[in-house]
Amino acid sequence: MDEQKKRASIDYILAQGLVTPQTTRSRITEMFRTLGPRYIFWDMGYSLLFAALTFALVMALFVVVPYDYRFSAAVAVAPLFFLLINVFAETSERACGLYELKQTCRYTIRQITALRVLCYSVAGAVLTAVVAIIKMETAYEFISMFTLCLAALFVCAALSMSVIRYVRKLWANAVFSAAWVFATAALTLSLGKPWETLLSNTPIIISVAVALIGIAFFVYQISKMLSEVDKYAVA
Amino acid sequence: MLSLNNVTKKYGKFTALQDIDLEFNSGVYALLAPNGAGKTTLIKMLTTLIFPTNGEILWNGDEIVKLDACYRNIIGYLPQDFGYYKNHSPRDFLLYLSAVKCIDRIPAKRKTDELLELVGLLDVKNKKMKKFSGGMIQRVGIAQAMLNDPKILILDEPTAGLDPKERVRFRNLISSLSKDRIVILSTHIVSDIETIANRVIMFKDHKLFANDDPAALCASLNGKIYETDIAIPNGCLALTERQENGKTITRFASETDCGDAAQSVSPNLEDVFLYVYRDEAV
Repeated sequence: MDEQKKRASIDYILAQGLVTPQTTRSRITEMFRTLGPRYIFWDMGYSLLFAALTFALVMALFVVVPYDYRFSAAVAVAPLFFLLINVFAETSERACGLYELKQTCRYTIRQITALRVLCYSVAGAVLTAVVAIIKMETAYEFISMFTLCLAALFVCAALSMSVIRYVRKLWANAVFSAAWVFATAALTLSLGKPWETLLSNTPIIISVAVALIGIAFFVYQISKMLSEVDKYAVA
Repeated sequence: MLSLNNVTKKYGKFTALQDIDLEFNSGVYALLAPNGAGKTTLIKMLTTLIFPTNGEILWNGDEIVKLDACYRNIIGYLPQDFGYYKNHSPRDFLLYLSAVKCIDRIPAKRKTDELLELVGLLDVKNKKMKKFSGGMIQRVGIAQAMLNDPKILILDEPTAGLDPKERVRFRNLISSLSKDRIVILSTHIVSDIETIANRVIMFKDHKLFANDDPAALCASLNGKIYETDIAIPNGCLALTERQENGKTITRFASETDCGDAAQSVSPNLEDVFLYVYRDEAV
């Protein structure tokens, strides 16, 4: 090996060593700064509108749910906005014919989706507070219901993200959302009062713990979506 | 240099491509094969939309999947079914894709205007794309693929659905963009590549059949192509027909010398295509 090749090899090895792996946080910050809200939610207007309208309809039904089933209904409704917006956004993204093209860009559509999902989860968390406020009787009941709803939201979000990660099909999101609605409705209808009692008597500390586990699992899924490439063949 | 080493792609039990070895340097490479031969599969592997079942794809010695965003930074891609936002102008659309390609805003604006001028859309840069013709949309597609000044430009059936005038314009554009970069063009339209391709890559039975320059491919049929205005001899392969002075001239391929029965002519790329894929529905 001559001197020039040797020097080039040393420079290459040093350059590799000096590159620090990007953390999830720095990646998210960089993407937010580069894209901004306008390009993160580019052409998402109709999806947001449809999700908001559908959720408003669900909330209208939630308001008239009998008092005796308020916890069961709140847990069922809490993640719905998150699920609906994901379904509408993913459908619209795939229908516009640019999905594959965007997957070949510096920021892939999967990474942008991860960023959007993060924003939806924040909006979903705010809406769970609204859900809890609508049906609360006391401050304690608000905290109890809110933490329970947060736990439902983030467990649901984490599961739906793992479904999106491993199943590349468009219908995956819709099927998961339908499964959530079906499962919560089935539990409420089949178990009835015992299910409501179980939820209303769940200690806040348990709800908080489940919510935190859900958040950790959700963030893990998001970070994987942002960093993994080789598992995400889209075609 | 972009290279494929022993690349195989399987979908379940179906083998779409098998043991493909290719090397790409600067120039225009045309993937010429009938529909379903594996062109799009290869292109999707080159754009990291799907991954090889076996083998590796390397860019300057590094696996493209491991290069991740560094590889995506150097490719420009125009998919077969190019979607676009009907209610946005080409300028807005290109600025959006510039952001997704991580190009800073000020250079992105400059590059967008440059490219719109290059593809002849500067006059309509602020018009909504829903009023654009197929050719104009394809030109927007080329412009978006060029935003990051890619070292590898990958175009999947870029001329499908274009009228002849648009096709010629598109060919000239691709030719002008091919300096100092790899252009990989997939097509089953022979006339698209006859004049601009440096090399033609053909697949048959899901394997690499040929990888040569157009002249060499044509030369492989030297002495085998004939024209006649009477019935073609038995056992010959009819290629094309045309009307001339009220007579039907048939172009055909023959493995044996036809003597005075027909006139020997120079083979062209269309002859090669029809000859190679004679057993397939094209």
